[in-house]
Amino acid sequence: MDKLIEALKAVRETRTDSSRTEVVTRVHLTGRMTARERMAALLDEDSAVEYGIIAGKTQEGDWVAETGGADFVGTINGQVVIASSTDYTDQGGGYGAGRLARLFSLAHEHRWPLVIFVDGGGSRARHPRAGKGHLEFGGPIGRFTIIDGNAELSGWVPTIAIVSGPSFAGHASLAAFSDFLIATKGSSIGLGGPPMVEAALGVRVSAVELAGVDMQEETGGIDLLVEDDVAAIAAARDYLAYYEDLESGEPAANSVQIDSIVPVEGIYDMYPVIEAIVDAHSMFELRPAFAKSLITLLARIDGRTIGVLANQPLVDEGAIDNDAATKISRFVEICDAYEYPILSLIDTPGCVATWETKGEDSIVEPGITRWHTRPIIAHQNRTVPLFCVLAGRGGGLGPSLMTGFSSGRGVPALCLAWPTVEVGQDDGFSAMQYSKAIDDVVAPSETREKISRVLRHFKRDLSRVEKKHPIDSW
Amino acid sequence: MGAANQDDSQYLSARERLSLLLDSESFVEYGVLAGATSKTEDESVADGLVAGAGEISGCPVVAASYDRAISNGTQSDRNQRKLGRLIYLANRHRWPLVLFVDGDGARQGDHKPPPPIVIAPRGRWDVYDGLAELSGWAPTVAILTGRALDGNAGIAMLSDFVVATRESTFGSNSTSGTVSRSVDDFAKTGNIDLLVEDERAAILAAQKYLSYYQIATTEGRAAATYDDIASIVPDNRRRPYDMRKIVNAFADDNSVLELGATWGRSMLTMFARLKGRSVGIFANQPRSPLAGAIDSDAADKAARFIELCDAYEFPLISFVDNPGFMVGPQAEREGMARHHARPLAALHHRTVPLCSVQIRKAYGLGPFAMSGWGSGRSVPELRLAWPTVESGGMSLEGAAYLVKRKEILAAENKVKALEIRDEYAEKMRDQTSGLKAGRNFMFDDIVYPTETRDRISAILERIPRDLGHTKKHPIDPH
Repeated sequence: MDKLIEALKAVRETRTDSSRTEVVTRVHLTGRMTARERMAALLDEDSAVEYGIIAGKTQEGDWVAETGGADFVGTINGQVVIASSTDYTDQGGGYGAGRLARLFSLAHEHRWPLVIFVDGGGSRARHPRAGKGHLEFGGPIGRFTIIDGNAELSGWVPTIAIVSGPSFAGHASLAAFSDFLIATKGSSIGLGGPPMVEAALGVRVSAVELAGVDMQEETGGIDLLVEDDVAAIAAARDYLAYYEDLESGEPAANSVQIDSIVPVEGIYDMYPVIEAIVDAHSMFELRPAFAKSLITLLARIDGRTIGVLANQPLVDEGAIDNDAATKISRFVEICDAYEYPILSLIDTPGCVATWETKGEDSIVEPGITRWHTRPIIAHQNRTVPLFCVLAGRGGGLGPSLMTGFSSGRGVPALCLAWPTVEVGQDDGFSAMQYSKAIDDVVAPSETREKISRVLRHFKRDLSRVEKKHPIDSW
Repeated sequence: MGAANQDDSQYLSARERLSLLLDSESFVEYGVLAGATSKTEDESVADGLVAGAGEISGCPVVAASYDRAISNGTQSDRNQRKLGRLIYLANRHRWPLVLFVDGDGARQGDHKPPPPIVIAPRGRWDVYDGLAELSGWAPTVAILTGRALDGNAGIAMLSDFVVATRESTFGSNSTSGTVSRSVDDFAKTGNIDLLVEDERAAILAAQKYLSYYQIATTEGRAAATYDDIASIVPDNRRRPYDMRKIVNAFADDNSVLELGATWGRSMLTMFARLKGRSVGIFANQPRSPLAGAIDSDAADKAARFIELCDAYEFPLISFVDNPGFMVGPQAEREGMARHHARPLAALHHRTVPLCSVQIRKAYGLGPFAMSGWGSGRSVPELRLAWPTVESGGMSLEGAAYLVKRKEILAAENKVKALEIRDEYAEKMRDQTSGLKAGRNFMFDDIVYPTETRDRISAILERIPRDLGHTKKHPIDPH
């Protein structure tokens, strides 16, 4: 027995960073962490259980499925998660499909959130199953293979992908299926990597030129861009924290000034307005650099997680273009799936359509496309409660994209207007004539308390046995 | 009266449109006496919206047309309530809805101006939420023959199927005047589905679209070109061919209706019949600017179509000849990484049967978008290939390029470089294609092309259409 244990120990040693200091140094020189360092930083101390730690080469030295990463069950803030990191120093990060597929099945069965680092270039060229791909029948090792596993988890548990480095092909696919995609500066995410592009188009480009995250941040390809691995891990932990409610929460310091933040006329910044309504230091913004006329963020009221959807009058007066519409619908799907009540702050002239023109700037003009009707569909199907505040303008179909309809399935739980409201020809007081639509006209400073009193009656219920719907990747 | 007021005789009146659309003597009009005001001298017939229940080919529908002759086809409180009434019926009884949307948006000076925000309900369903509710439950068709502004355009954008005459426009009343844009621009960006020459053609298209839903099975016979279907695929594996020809030869004679022909052109989406059964066919188009590669538009197009077919229980058939997802800086800027997941997710969550036919290329991740993963929630009911099949992690030419990169870059000229690449690709071909794929059980069978119809219909016949009692999911508008 002792001999066998010694042998096991020796094999295990080969999987640790201390056994390959040269590689570790190389990784550190790029400013990144090794797979196991990432996991250690991500998971709560002494919570990590690694799966398939010694899986690796066969005795003949052939690669098998279980290399190229490290896979764990652990906790984050006490919450059980599946966590995994590809190891791009090991066969280019070719994912260990078998081991990860097994963990996806566990996540599905037990409703455990998922956090995965996915840098690498797709399935491993020398993988024994490479080249068969989709053509393989009935081959999954767990209930799912990895990409369909991620599709299955979408809308069932929060899934977070972190891209730190180049991420292409299958790796990018895993990233795209995740609810929340964090990238570190200098990384890239694309479906076909530089060699593929050279082979197919005869063009030689660097990974960053091809699909850099600076571009992805502006075009909606990622949800959050951060400095480095450390910041990415902090963001992942923060995001996951919203999956659970806190006992209580305090208003922000500027909450008492809110009446003077909202001007009677003219353009203003919506961020301090949101800040004055939600709990202090509770704002966590998603897709901040994409479709900036529309703000989406997670926050809390009285400790309770909510999703905030707000027009930003500072950008295009808060008009909703194709991208902003898409940003709304995906966010509503996320909030609905994970039972985050929605607070919608409305100040928009309505919808504008974006038209691409060859070689010139795109044209933006008033109009409605199919992109603009996606939020209407998303609201129609949400069951999570929605609170709305008419802060200023509510032009055209704009308010419908922000809330749905009062006759739809998901009637707003509370619809407030501020005296600054400007809807059609009506001011706030005459709008009150439509008493079935607007429940009260209140001072901005009364808003938090009003919402809080209604919100507390809606208990969060995650007890269903099937997911409501997946979350659209776009 | 509405009809008499229609000033330009080349256009049909609201009532003429409905009488052409519906079976004769089938129309039951709702709210004919409704006026723009409640005054007895009010002459605004039906308040500018002729609406009612009727039949198409003996099957129930609700249908309405805005009336250009009354206040420019604008939307009033009263005519929207009429429309809400029809939408209630459609939701309640799962009846399809057909709307002629030509009109100028909200009516200025209406007796009761629309409250600007979330409206107090004008019935169980109002118009937009009612249409959102119908999405995925009963087919909704919008016909545009003229100009639709604001709310009228919104109705079209919430409909499953939009058919428009070519000179029509969509637009908006903005503070700086009326903005309008051609339906051609809307079609090229996937915002409408079909362009036709005139109103009569639009009505025929609407009837054809609904027929697939209403009449699940009918008589059907093979097209005359079916016996020669194999000859459509050129012997030279690098030459493109027109996938439309394959689909037309495969489907029942004269049964194909193509949706969205002018956008995402590397992906074809079509309703058709197979031995009388309504089916949805999506296919890669080798004869397209991207040679069948799936870009963001093509991915979106496939995803929406899969949801549409899943909602209305049309079995899916895919014809696959796909060099992969589109690569390169432009494709990535268009959001390839995000959009590629949409057809994959749609296939993953479907419950309607899927049969795939692999014709030639199946490279990389792209083919997953055509036939799913072969694991997870659902696997294809039948996966066939023709002997011309070839598959791999990337195209043979691409793989050959990477293997022989040094030699190719050192070649004295371009022709020589291609020769080196293609020679090696040809060597690899045998390992990936045809019989070998069958021996490896990569497919359920490798078939003669002329066996394809029988094989697929034999399986589909055993999986009857089940429309169910609850809606599965809405159809994502884009």
